[in-house]
Amino acid sequence: ETLRLSHQWSTQDVRHKVAQMIADEVKAADIGLDIRIFPSSSLFKAREQYTPLSRGQLDMTVLPLSYAGGQRAAYNLTLMPGLVKNHDHAARLNESPFMDDIKAIMAEDDVMVLVDGYLAGGFSGTEGCITAPKDVEGKQMRAAGKAFEQMLAGAGASIASMASSEIYNAMQTGVLDAANTSSSSFVSYRIYEQVACYTPPGEYALWFMYQPLLMNKSTFEGLSEEQQDTLLEASKKAEAFYLEEAKKEDADSREVFAQNGVEIAEMTQEDFDAWRELARETSYAAFVEDLPEGQELLDKALAVE
Amino acid sequence: MTGTRMNDNKALTGSDPFLRVTAAISTLCGWIAAGMVVAAVFITCQMIFVRFVLNHSTIWQTEAVVYLVIAATLIGLPYVQRLKGHVNVDLIPIALQFGPRKVLYVVVLSASALVMGMLAFYGYDFWQVAYQRGWKSDTVWGVRLWIPYLAIPVGFGLMTLQIVADIWAVLKGHERPFGLVRDPLNASGTGEL
Amino acid sequence: MDPLLLGGVVGIVTILVLFSGMSVAVGLLVVSGGFLIIFDGMRSLTLMPEILFAKLDDFALLAIPMFIIMGASIASTRAGADLYEALERWLTRVPGGLVISNLGACALFSAMSGSSPATCAAIGKMGIPEMRKRGYPDGVAAGSIAAGGTLGILIPPSVTMIVYGVATETSIGRLFLAGVLPGMLLVALFMAWSVWTTWRSGNAAVLSPTFYSWRERFEIMPRVLPFLLIIVGVLYAMYGGIATPSETAAVGALLCLLVAMIIYRMWSPAALWVVLRDSTRESVMILFIIAAAGVFSYMLSSLFITQSIAEWIGTLDVNRWVLMGAVNVFLLIAGFFLPPVAVILMAAPILLPIITAAGFDPIWFAVILTINMEIGLISPPVGLNLYVINGIAPDIPLKTILKGSLPYVGCMVLAIIVLSVFPGIATWLPDLVMGAAL
Ligand code: NA
Ligand code: NA
Repeated sequence: ETLRLSHQWSTQDVRHKVAQMIADEVKAADIGLDIRIFPSSSLFKAREQYTPLSRGQLDMTVLPLSYAGGQRAAYNLTLMPGLVKNHDHAARLNESPFMDDIKAIMAEDDVMVLVDGYLAGGFSGTEGCITAPKDVEGKQMRAAGKAFEQMLAGAGASIASMASSEIYNAMQTGVLDAANTSSSSFVSYRIYEQVACYTPPGEYALWFMYQPLLMNKSTFEGLSEEQQDTLLEASKKAEAFYLEEAKKEDADSREVFAQNGVEIAEMTQEDFDAWRELARETSYAAFVEDLPEGQELLDKALAVE
Repeated sequence: MTGTRMNDNKALTGSDPFLRVTAAISTLCGWIAAGMVVAAVFITCQMIFVRFVLNHSTIWQTEAVVYLVIAATLIGLPYVQRLKGHVNVDLIPIALQFGPRKVLYVVVLSASALVMGMLAFYGYDFWQVAYQRGWKSDTVWGVRLWIPYLAIPVGFGLMTLQIVADIWAVLKGHERPFGLVRDPLNASGTGEL
Repeated sequence: MDPLLLGGVVGIVTILVLFSGMSVAVGLLVVSGGFLIIFDGMRSLTLMPEILFAKLDDFALLAIPMFIIMGASIASTRAGADLYEALERWLTRVPGGLVISNLGACALFSAMSGSSPATCAAIGKMGIPEMRKRGYPDGVAAGSIAAGGTLGILIPPSVTMIVYGVATETSIGRLFLAGVLPGMLLVALFMAWSVWTTWRSGNAAVLSPTFYSWRERFEIMPRVLPFLLIIVGVLYAMYGGIATPSETAAVGALLCLLVAMIIYRMWSPAALWVVLRDSTRESVMILFIIAAAGVFSYMLSSLFITQSIAEWIGTLDVNRWVLMGAVNVFLLIAGFFLPPVAVILMAAPILLPIITAAGFDPIWFAVILTINMEIGLISPPVGLNLYVINGIAPDIPLKTILKGSLPYVGCMVLAIIVLSVFPGIATWLPDLVMGAAL
């Protein structure tokens, strides 16, 4: 049997490598199961994957879960400012009752998680450093995710929405003053050529995005026990690799920006608290307004130490 | 030989009531589509003004413009079909005699109507799911997706209707199959390449 | 079935369906639907409306109707005639001034329109009758305008460059700049051929200069000014940090509509409707092909045909220039039959990885691809520009138009060769303005 796995990233990307690891393990086990990967949106566009996955028209995907936030408002919590502080905290969050609730919602859509994982990101500006809310006032900014747009707008920034691939040109022509995206995008789009200062994810960071490897639940349950076990075993290995690589990407981005003469700024506990307070009034409030029963979920997530 | 004609080339309706009603609906679709494109022009200019001159956030404009252009495309389908504006390559029809050409025309347009009708059917299905589950777009604006998705069943549905009308017009002799003269290879100077 | 073999079957069926007279977009959907049902089951069919919608869900595509409106609104006024007359008054000292000013007007008009037929119609309406009246051979009159019109998709703005940018995730601003110098190269080649062949045909007399006074020359300038302002305004917005190329398109469309209404007094609703009708028709036609080609490429990818062809070509151990030659032949043939957007959308996902793996620059390749598509616009059986010329000058036999266009096709092939030897002609300007490519 051949399973189809679709994602939006290039074959150099860590998320592709995670998928490839599982495909290789499954193939090596020789249990009549084959995973065919369609990288770089060669089958479905990025935001087009969740619906076919939930209907069994697509078997597997590596997807930022918040992309499906329009269908399941609770998923917006997986890209919410200040909910995750660092990668180890993210790993604890994955094992928490909060994630159990999120996974229960996925199950309603016939979707299950094989590999958990968060990737982090930071801020960078063409003129100054961005660590605290006051730093973004009056700036034209691009943010990754609507909760971040709401928070930054609350801090007095003007929001221009665009794809991460457009940041470079927009900064060059002066359309943008600052941007927020993932560490790997900052490096792969060579944003260091355009900015004066970079705030990478470190001890404290705001931007964490949950990007799991998902599978259609019925398809999984239709596999033989041996096949299921092999998949789960391979997924466990891939998950450990994913966490290590996620940390490494943050460190790499810090290094690349520094090497290119960009000033590196750090976010302090104080800054983090100020952002979280702002997020409470903006993004969290908007989330709960959109999904009244979301308050309970939000509290569960905030309770994770 | 072929192609879109640049002059106004709308289908003839005669006094056939079915053809006239269909033509009226398709024309209305054309007006709506053109209106949507013009609205998209103004909204984009407004967005640039808000961002560049006022230095404010632009929250809804990008999305509104994209959905307007998609809706204009889908709603515009029947109108462009009526104007014979969907580019085609009629190599095989030209090589055929009038009789077989008419048969080919009916076959080709029936297949077209079938696929367009299917898209309308599954498009309605898709629209209904989005409506019932209250799907929204994943942005701050969070537009209810059933609104833009509505253009799918409407556009393809009316496109199917216009194609059926085109078949009817040829069967009734109001029009020639593929708009070709009887002997296109020897035609000259009429715009009929 | 082996994906490569299946690919062959899909290819043959597609050609048959497209030649049957079915419209290109619907044909692609019929073929995609058929193969998906047979090899992927009904489940893929229910996905078709979603895939189609998602293919259009891209902000960059918005620029297509906008740039078409730009061309259509200007083409509907006597602006083309003004532009052309101004150039003539200034260029008549040059031997062959009339044909040269026609080609110059095509190039300038191309900078205001994203589409080729619009460029062709705007300049041809005035240019072809005038050239024939003055004694230029019919072939030169029709051929130079048909070829000059194709510049509409090479000189920015360009609808095909937008589609290429969307399909390959390449910067549209960069692609636009890449078309400028190759466009000028083509103009120069077209001009050289036109003058030479007119001289050789024994019509040397028509090449001799006529004289306009300086007064006459300056008199006409105010009528050209609006265009220069629009071009400068659009370029400034695009590269001066005001807006992205897609957004700029809307500014250009609005400016052109306003110029048409205010300066050319196109106030009547009927006249405005003609502009909107023509641009809606062309935009809907192109966007529908884009959506349908999207479904078609989903089918090719889903059945693993795209990947297998790319893999197969990768295993062929050929010289990179042999590969490029083969790609050009393929594009040329595809361009004969299919409109440019359909070719780009179906070919780009397969070709681009192969091209970049062979060490070719994707921006440079966009220019090569566009010139190939330009050739398709003036070659039968689907040569949109030929229809435009036929509509403008119905008494010139098709044979003469075709024969007249053929040498210009030669110029384009020559340009492809020159660009292969000196790729910098395409890449220098974008690198200069926007920094080295990512
Ligand atoms: Na152009
Ligand atoms: Na052609």
